[in-house]
Amino acid sequence: MYERAEEVRAKDGRAPDVFREGKWVSMRCYPDDEEVDFAIVGTGAGGGTLACKLAEAGFSVVAFDAGPFWRPLEDFASDESSQGDLYWTDERISGGDDPVQLGSNNSGRGVGGSTVHYAMVALRFRPEWFKCRSKLGYGRDWPISYDEIEPYYEEAEDALKISGPVSYPWGRRRKRYPYRSHPMNASALVLARGAEKLGIKWAPVPLATLSAPRGMAHPCVYRGFCVYGCSTNAKQSVLVTFIPRALKAGAEIRDLSMVGRIEMGKNGRATGLRYRREGEWRRQKARHVVVAGYSIETPRLLLNSACPEFPHGLANDNGIVGKHLMIHSGPGVWGRMEEEIRSYKAPPSLALTEHWNYDDSAKDFHGGYAFMSQGPLPNAWAETLAGRGLWGMALRQEMTAFNFMAGLRIVGETEPRPVNRVELDDEKDHFGIPIPRVTFSLSDNDKKLMEHSIGSMRDILEAGGARDLWDDKDSSHLLGTCRMGDNPEDSVVNRDGRAWSIPNLWICDGSLFPTSGGVNPSLTIQANALRIGDRIKEMAARGEL
Amino acid sequence: MLAPPEPEPSHRPLIPVAAATLAAAGGIGWLLQRAWKPEGDINHRAAQALSAGAAILCASVALDSALEHYRGKFKNRAMFVGPTMALLGLGAATCLAFRPDRAKDRLPKIALIAVGATGLIGMGFHSYNVLKRPGEIDTLNLFYAAPVGAPAALTLAGLYGVIAGEMLDGSDFVETRLPQLTAGLIAFSLLGTVAEAGLFHFRGAFQDPAMYAPVTIPPLAAVAIGAAALSPRAADFAKPLLQATAVLGIAGPIFHAYGIHRNMGGWYNWSQMILQGPPLPAPPAFLGIAAAGLGLLPALREREH
Amino acid sequence: MSEFRSPYPSYDVLDKWDSPSWNDQTREAVGRRLDDVPKRHFLTAEQWSLLEAIVARLMPQPDREEPVPIVPWIDDRLQKDRRPGYRYAGMPPMREAWTAGLAAIAAECIDRFGKPFEELSSEDQDGYLTTIQNGEVSSQFWSDMPVQCFFSELLLKDVLEIYYSHPWAWSEIGFGGPASPRGYVRTGFNERDPWEAEAADV
Repeated sequence: MYERAEEVRAKDGRAPDVFREGKWVSMRCYPDDEEVDFAIVGTGAGGGTLACKLAEAGFSVVAFDAGPFWRPLEDFASDESSQGDLYWTDERISGGDDPVQLGSNNSGRGVGGSTVHYAMVALRFRPEWFKCRSKLGYGRDWPISYDEIEPYYEEAEDALKISGPVSYPWGRRRKRYPYRSHPMNASALVLARGAEKLGIKWAPVPLATLSAPRGMAHPCVYRGFCVYGCSTNAKQSVLVTFIPRALKAGAEIRDLSMVGRIEMGKNGRATGLRYRREGEWRRQKARHVVVAGYSIETPRLLLNSACPEFPHGLANDNGIVGKHLMIHSGPGVWGRMEEEIRSYKAPPSLALTEHWNYDDSAKDFHGGYAFMSQGPLPNAWAETLAGRGLWGMALRQEMTAFNFMAGLRIVGETEPRPVNRVELDDEKDHFGIPIPRVTFSLSDNDKKLMEHSIGSMRDILEAGGARDLWDDKDSSHLLGTCRMGDNPEDSVVNRDGRAWSIPNLWICDGSLFPTSGGVNPSLTIQANALRIGDRIKEMAARGEL
Repeated sequence: MLAPPEPEPSHRPLIPVAAATLAAAGGIGWLLQRAWKPEGDINHRAAQALSAGAAILCASVALDSALEHYRGKFKNRAMFVGPTMALLGLGAATCLAFRPDRAKDRLPKIALIAVGATGLIGMGFHSYNVLKRPGEIDTLNLFYAAPVGAPAALTLAGLYGVIAGEMLDGSDFVETRLPQLTAGLIAFSLLGTVAEAGLFHFRGAFQDPAMYAPVTIPPLAAVAIGAAALSPRAADFAKPLLQATAVLGIAGPIFHAYGIHRNMGGWYNWSQMILQGPPLPAPPAFLGIAAAGLGLLPALREREH
Repeated sequence: MSEFRSPYPSYDVLDKWDSPSWNDQTREAVGRRLDDVPKRHFLTAEQWSLLEAIVARLMPQPDREEPVPIVPWIDDRLQKDRRPGYRYAGMPPMREAWTAGLAAIAAECIDRFGKPFEELSSEDQDGYLTTIQNGEVSSQFWSDMPVQCFFSELLLKDVLEIYYSHPWAWSEIGFGGPASPRGYVRTGFNERDPWEAEAADV
């Protein structure tokens, strides 16, 4: 089994200073046998954000990540291939009618989680989506409303200094984004031009990457390797925002620490974690355990932690853990332009339209989608072209038109269905832990949405000046496998992310989503994490923990 | 065991940098003021100051437009005109600053009128550049397309130069009305430059508190010299505010150099960051306008008598 | 048809090696790719030469005396068992999939053409690869492995990833290449920074 040459960095009272090469910040370290308040599994959009909030509220926090503690300025090369270390490459099996591509597509590994490799799109849910069943007649109501999460959206946007337009055309009236938008590259201008011609509203994408300096971080230099790790440190991943704050507030981050099992006591409460670090299995005691491993690793850990009291896995008496997996469908449309586009420059998605998230007329399906301009680098582009069936000299020659291509891709809502799920396989990984088996199929509604979106994208791309259009399929994001709800019969956790059947077990990541919405999930995951942090603070003050 | 005894926190020393920059700029300003030896009567000296101000404005535009048009690769041949005319204006205005009596000559006057007209035409081109983009007049295009107000500095330089010539006329109009009108023009110039700086500092999210300086002090100076046009005694308030504005015009490039340093690669990456980073030649516009305003103050006060 | 022409014949990403476009970590990563081409460790000599012949059709390089090496990196990945982090249901794990797939190709070619793949004409080689791409193979050799998956997810995907990770491939498509700390200043229509690829006028 491939063993990466990685070394633990966060230990002995210090952690890497991501803002200065070769320097360190001090880090409080907790002995394994000290019962910390919160042990968090995963340091991504959910876990890293919550670790910060809880540490700043005065709790003792240890957050674990299976991957390394990156130093973006020094570690991240401008090279697609060698940046493969950013992704979860332990084996997983993907099946179903429409198997999901995993690995670099949607699964990060390292402190900061998938926010280290994401495209920084920071969008709020359409307000009605939180009550989509009651208000829009499809899907499932969330146990929280937009009003409840709105202040946390604002907090998250400010914490990340989102660079967004002065006025955003969709959603409720809101405070101005903390930083201003980035200039649009040619790829984005194609969308803008086409949308304007058709009378469809468009906007610069609100992005979690800096358009002006912030502290020690540099503003974006439009280098274009965003989804392979930002070596400029302009990208406001969790690694460079919430994690440094968490460290300052006394949290400990344990990198290269794969959590294998949540340990349970006889009284039906979690007692801590079993994790592997530097070649040996260890145990950390904790009063509360938060699982934030994203939608595959979270259910996997719960299922793998089955014990006599919870033979079907933790918090899984109702059999819901691992079910209702959702992705965002991602059909795309591409075309050839007269002008040079060179979309490899700047963040991949600089312009978007959310028109079809808010306008439900002329739809023969439920749900919404947004789409954005694209900027693939050579490997990604070759893979897209290969999806057309090209190979050999035909593909090699077609690749030389790289600088003239422009395209659009959607983030499309998919339905929560129990048949789409994450389970355990018999095969084990190199830690000896059963690997996940992911099953996914698109529903008829999902497919109708995708068809419709291809039509919309074609219209706009053509109006933007592209010709010889063709479309392809892709997917992004993973959501919903441990959904929250108001009813213990059909949800895993309650509105605070607290497991119904285990009072000191929490979940805080994208697996909480009851529905997927038609926008990238990271901002909602982070806002929800901030909200859960506040709720935990309240409950602690009232003695409800 | 391995940890350094006291890990330093990561932060930029914004306050020390601002203090040092303002001190340095203040020092340079003081030296410039000492070196400035105007001659002749009040009107002569006002004419000299206006010419010097025009020269500084032209220098700022020459460098700034050359850089920005280089960034645009001079893809439209007309882009050569801006920097060229700015250099012409610089030459003419510098001449007049040293030999103010030449301000009445036809040649420098024609040159400066041409420079002023270039400014207007430039604004037209820049507006077209904004309007032809998706979104037309939206903040994104105001931030990143051709800056609509920038060529106006040439128009101001042209006006200052022409007024300098008129100042030597000795007529009644010159004694009474011209200083007033010029003070109004100076106030307008300041506010226009404030709008430009404000727009771009807003684009930069005012991430460094020092970025508030050019949108707080110069507007006060504008109000003061505007008041001085109506009430000669206000000239006493205008003086320190104009001096402070002049210092900002000197401090600006130093601050902007720090801004370039803060960008990725800093000065090692100068060939990119000089284009991306805050524009080095832009802030001295404040120096030029303030210098012209300071030179005008004696003539404004004189009206009292 | 077998001729290859790049719009950027005089552009070389490596010219910028010492410029602000490349930083230490990028030079290290790409330098290893250029200088440390691995030797055969995992594949047998027969598997290696079969794979070379396949790769020569999946990514033909008739324009190069010394082609961009691809098979050594596939072998390296198999040797280290460096997986992409998932496999589709029905596919065996990575090493087994490659071994089984290569064996199937070798055996089916003998059966279909009477000759090993390496000795077929390029047209026949392309034709046979197309039947794999379309899944029109004989299950006698492929048993129940998802054949189309083998073609697109293993064969072609790896070949393309390795090829388009090489600076020569970046140069031929006019890709700006590494760009840290430099970044780009001009990102609009028909705009290029002076050190980006310029198309030769055809």
